[in-house]
Amino acid sequence: MHADSSPQHALTKPPLPEQGSETGYENMPVTKVPGWHGIIAWDALLNGMATGLFLAAAISELAAPGVFMRVAKIAYPVAFVLLIVDLGLLVLDLGDPLRFHHMLRVFKPSSPMSLGTWSLTIFSLPLTAAAALSVLAELGWDFEWARILAVVVGLLPGFASAAYKGVLLSTNAQPGWKDARWMGGYLTNSALLMGCAELLVLSALKGQGQATGILRTTVIVLLVINVIPLSLLFADLRPAHALLYTRNQQWRAGALIAALTLIPLALMLLNGDLLFLFVAVILLLAQSWFIRFVYVKIPHTAPLKTSSGE
Amino acid sequence: MASREMELSTLPESSDPPRDRLSVMLGRLIGPFLRGEPRGLIPEVLGRLIYPFLHGEAPEPRTPTGFYTDTTVCIGCKACEVACKQWNQLPSDGFNWTGNSYDNTTELSATTWRHVKFIEQFSHEPSSPLASPLDTVSDESPLNRWLMMSDHCKHCLAAPCHQACPTGAIVQNEFQNIYIQADICNGCSCCIAACPFGVITRSDMGGHSHKCTLCYDRQRDGLEPACAKACPTKSIQFGPVDELREHARKRVEELHQRGVPQAYLYGDVPSETYSEMHSFYLLVDHPAVYGLPDAPFNPWLHMMGDYVRSVAGGLAAIAVLLVVVFLLKP
Repeated sequence: MHADSSPQHALTKPPLPEQGSETGYENMPVTKVPGWHGIIAWDALLNGMATGLFLAAAISELAAPGVFMRVAKIAYPVAFVLLIVDLGLLVLDLGDPLRFHHMLRVFKPSSPMSLGTWSLTIFSLPLTAAAALSVLAELGWDFEWARILAVVVGLLPGFASAAYKGVLLSTNAQPGWKDARWMGGYLTNSALLMGCAELLVLSALKGQGQATGILRTTVIVLLVINVIPLSLLFADLRPAHALLYTRNQQWRAGALIAALTLIPLALMLLNGDLLFLFVAVILLLAQSWFIRFVYVKIPHTAPLKTSSGE
Repeated sequence: MASREMELSTLPESSDPPRDRLSVMLGRLIGPFLRGEPRGLIPEVLGRLIYPFLHGEAPEPRTPTGFYTDTTVCIGCKACEVACKQWNQLPSDGFNWTGNSYDNTTELSATTWRHVKFIEQFSHEPSSPLASPLDTVSDESPLNRWLMMSDHCKHCLAAPCHQACPTGAIVQNEFQNIYIQADICNGCSCCIAACPFGVITRSDMGGHSHKCTLCYDRQRDGLEPACAKACPTKSIQFGPVDELREHARKRVEELHQRGVPQAYLYGDVPSETYSEMHSFYLLVDHPAVYGLPDAPFNPWLHMMGDYVRSVAGGLAAIAVLLVVVFLLKP
């Protein structure tokens, strides 16, 4: 961007009619919608589930190895599988999937997609190592120092892999998306929330009482905290939603999201049994998917009334 | 002989820019692939894997070039659309009547890089006089007039599509024009999402993004772009951007003196939210009337803030996890 910031119509301020003419292209959408559909909603969910699970397991294990080591060894292979499925979706969504490796021919920090691709690629290496070493440990070949090293190395690229997605979906010119300043804040926070929730179910399945207790408290607190970026995101999107949906539809979607937030919260507060926790986490994942799906569909839903790009 | 071949036959052959040492080595490795010779599965896979990593040296910068489109002299003949399709060998899209205009192209697409827009501003009063685009328009007295504009890529100096492209397929070439390398693009669509003018589209054939190249091939051979050459009224003018700007400003002044105070230039200078464009327009009504954003905004102005919020959201969750773990661990 140039330092010189003189007004666009520099020579004169033309005496144009206040409203402009009603004919022409005024009521037609200016921007073109990228072919990002439901597959991207699933990608955003799986990205959060994979990176969140790895980060939750890694941080918990490094902070309290005695409590979390056993469940972490299960979490890394699960995160690995989730990431593989996610990467598969990303490749399939390309116009020319056989050229997926072209993403790695340059590193461009100005492009969230480039930053994300490199982060995911780098993250996949320590995650693969951590997952493989965890499986080997279960089979009796325990190289704990190597596994811990892989976990530590994976922390930064894992976090970057979680953080880029929201920025990718908000740094563009699409109606609604371009106003979503809190999309990144919500998605990264949500990734950690989902990761802790997945780890909670795994620890309950493994019968890890102490880990389950700690994670149950964590998920309850995170569920409440996650409402903050979610509310800020909704505030960002309110003008776009007002143009796309009737008040009734907005209320119905809001009620569904509120229910899918409050029911898991209530279930976890009421009872720490596996069944309760499992249902709560499934509902939480459903809420996360629904929010991502609604967001991805914004530019596809209907053309906005105004044609101006601003 | 077709005009394309006639023009080409008079030109010296231009060569690709030289490659760096690593790229030369890699190029030798996949020589048969590059030459398009018959090959088996392994050379094919190897070629596909290595080819995108062959980098040429960037050419020396040349005088920045662009288009100045004076919409007041456009007659809607569509010669520019035809010339663009002919030179770039783009297929026809058929007729797409909008129902409210003589515009039968409707929009820019992967196979339509020029689009002549027809804006019909007619009152329903039968006695209203027919006006020209140069008559003054006001809220009280709507005019009966046609506005026409040949639309295309704006070749923005700080182009969002260029910033968004993760493969490096979109480059700013030596003429400071935005160019998509079709052999590199993998159809991720980031450029489509980023463009505030709705210029770029992904093709159904091949799945890659395409748009106006500002006839890069012709420019390298010293020719003007096909559309500018074909334009019979000089509505589309091609040349060094500085010269075009000066020329356009004189034209605006001339129009003001002739009693057309609403004439102004769109995109010739940067605004607070958007860079200058190397393809700019002389307009006589609001940008939105022509299907242009009134105040284009570069999405990248928000990017750093969005990253900060994204990282903050994650760190807050990690802090909660650590606090609970340390408080509750035995």
